[in-house]
Amino acid sequence: MRNLINFRSLLAALTLGALLISWLNAGYFGMEILAEIAILALLAMSLDLLAGYTGLVSLGHAALFGCGAYAFAVFTAFWGWPPSLSMAAATLLTGLIALIVGSVVTRVQGIFFIMITLAIGEMGYELVFKTRALGGDDGLAGIPRLDLSVIGVDLNDPGVFALFLILLVVVCYLLLKRLLGSPYGAILIGLHDNAGRMRALGLPVQRYQTSIFAFSGAIAGFAGTLSAQHTMFISPQLLHWTTSGEVLVMGILGGLGTLIGPVIGAALITLLRHELSDLTDYWGLWLGLFLILVVMGGKNGVVGWLETGWNLIARRSGDRKSSDRSANDAAG
Amino acid sequence: MMLRAENLFKTFGAFQVTKGVSLEVPAGLRHAIIGPNGAGKTTLFNILAGELMPDEGRILIDGQDVTSFAPDRRARRGLSRSFQKNNLFLSGTVRDNLMVADIVARGYGAHFWTRLSDNRRAHEKTSAVAEQVGLTELLDHSVSELSYGAQRQLEVGLALMPDPKVLLLDEPTSGMSPEETGRMLQLIDDLPRALAVLLIEHDMDLVFSHADRITVLNYGEILMEGTPQEVRGSDIVQETYLGGKAQ
Repeated sequence: MRNLINFRSLLAALTLGALLISWLNAGYFGMEILAEIAILALLAMSLDLLAGYTGLVSLGHAALFGCGAYAFAVFTAFWGWPPSLSMAAATLLTGLIALIVGSVVTRVQGIFFIMITLAIGEMGYELVFKTRALGGDDGLAGIPRLDLSVIGVDLNDPGVFALFLILLVVVCYLLLKRLLGSPYGAILIGLHDNAGRMRALGLPVQRYQTSIFAFSGAIAGFAGTLSAQHTMFISPQLLHWTTSGEVLVMGILGGLGTLIGPVIGAALITLLRHELSDLTDYWGLWLGLFLILVVMGGKNGVVGWLETGWNLIARRSGDRKSSDRSANDAAG
Repeated sequence: MMLRAENLFKTFGAFQVTKGVSLEVPAGLRHAIIGPNGAGKTTLFNILAGELMPDEGRILIDGQDVTSFAPDRRARRGLSRSFQKNNLFLSGTVRDNLMVADIVARGYGAHFWTRLSDNRRAHEKTSAVAEQVGLTELLDHSVSELSYGAQRQLEVGLALMPDPKVLLLDEPTSGMSPEETGRMLQLIDDLPRALAVLLIEHDMDLVFSHADRITVLNYGEILMEGTPQEVRGSDIVQETYLGGKAQ
């Protein structure tokens, strides 16, 4: 078990290394892809807290992502608030909305939870789509980026912006890892495993589920504010349930409940989509085939496959060590 | 009185599963519920624990009326239960299971920034209960890989973690080997005397030798209640439950 936890930290370090090497070699277009990966990684990690760790599979997560983006756009482009304050306010507002939504949706379980989050997400999508003041289906443009010129950082440079986002992914990963090692983190995993026994032990189950829904929603909203700054243009598609589905697929591909898995999944799917669409019109077909291959093995996504391989190697080298030892014993 | 149930009724459709059941379990008493399959024993436990709402009647824990309380609220009032079918956290180790029970029982689940692995008191409590239920050597084993008997021990261990006032044990020895059963009985005998224990049990020898009082249920009704001697000597119990076979 300890072995696996260390292996995941190793995977996280390798993922970061790969992102940084790509960053060093990336041109303009590459920087755009890296920024996209980083934002989706944040969103996928937030969904992993909910779906992977707590066992609450939400198909309305994109609506919270979009909520953060639209709130940020309104605060900056309409009301002229500074981007830093707008980011904080949009994150907080999304967290608050998620708290209210969470207190409703956690009343039901399983497939009903999936359906009700889907329905509420679609309500959000429709609301934005039909609201002229928010640009309707035309979307909103003219969104500024955070101004860090006081410390000599120009986020309008695509390379600097991509690196800034990668840094945020690292910070978020470390914070969430700490959270998951806390008593609160143990409660989340217990809820996933056996919510009924948690209740019998005395846990107010719904209150905890609501709290993680709100926290996870706030991170999704934060990712939304970054998405708005990245493209400087937002459309209702951000809130659509297919976006939720895609982020869920990233988590499943990478490995739900592993925290690093969704980051790997976000990187793989974004990369494959861009690379394959250059090669063939049937890129969706190949992406689907790849997904089927990874999931069919019954392992927990890419991380699950790698862990299985790692355990095999560890066991072999363990055998060798113990046979060395017995050889030494025999010689001694 | 630690646990008091007054005149409980429960109906599923046209089927009356609990008919006017009353119970009193004072601190320190080992009270057993026996009865043939379908007598409504587990239903009664589910009513007492709050998983089912009774149609009529009241339930009091340590003098407080908890009839309207959800299961988690009753648990926080000092009621703890083990389940007839193992109801564990299968993805973790024995230690993970006991630790999460400690977090819930002591109410520090909202601590999101302290490291659980640094919590010395929780580790000590976990070790103590593991010792009590005989799982010390298996603490770091994955629960899904434990033998059925060891899982059964953990089932009781989870129920003991909160230091309850009232403990409901639903067939704690079911499916256990004679050796494991012996250890479980020793464990029940060694429980703190301040605890009120209500237990469902199939093994008659065990019930007659370890319980202070016995309630016999049949078709949701109390057939009789008394000491082991009284129940053993009762004709009506011999006839309906022991099938007249016992001497």
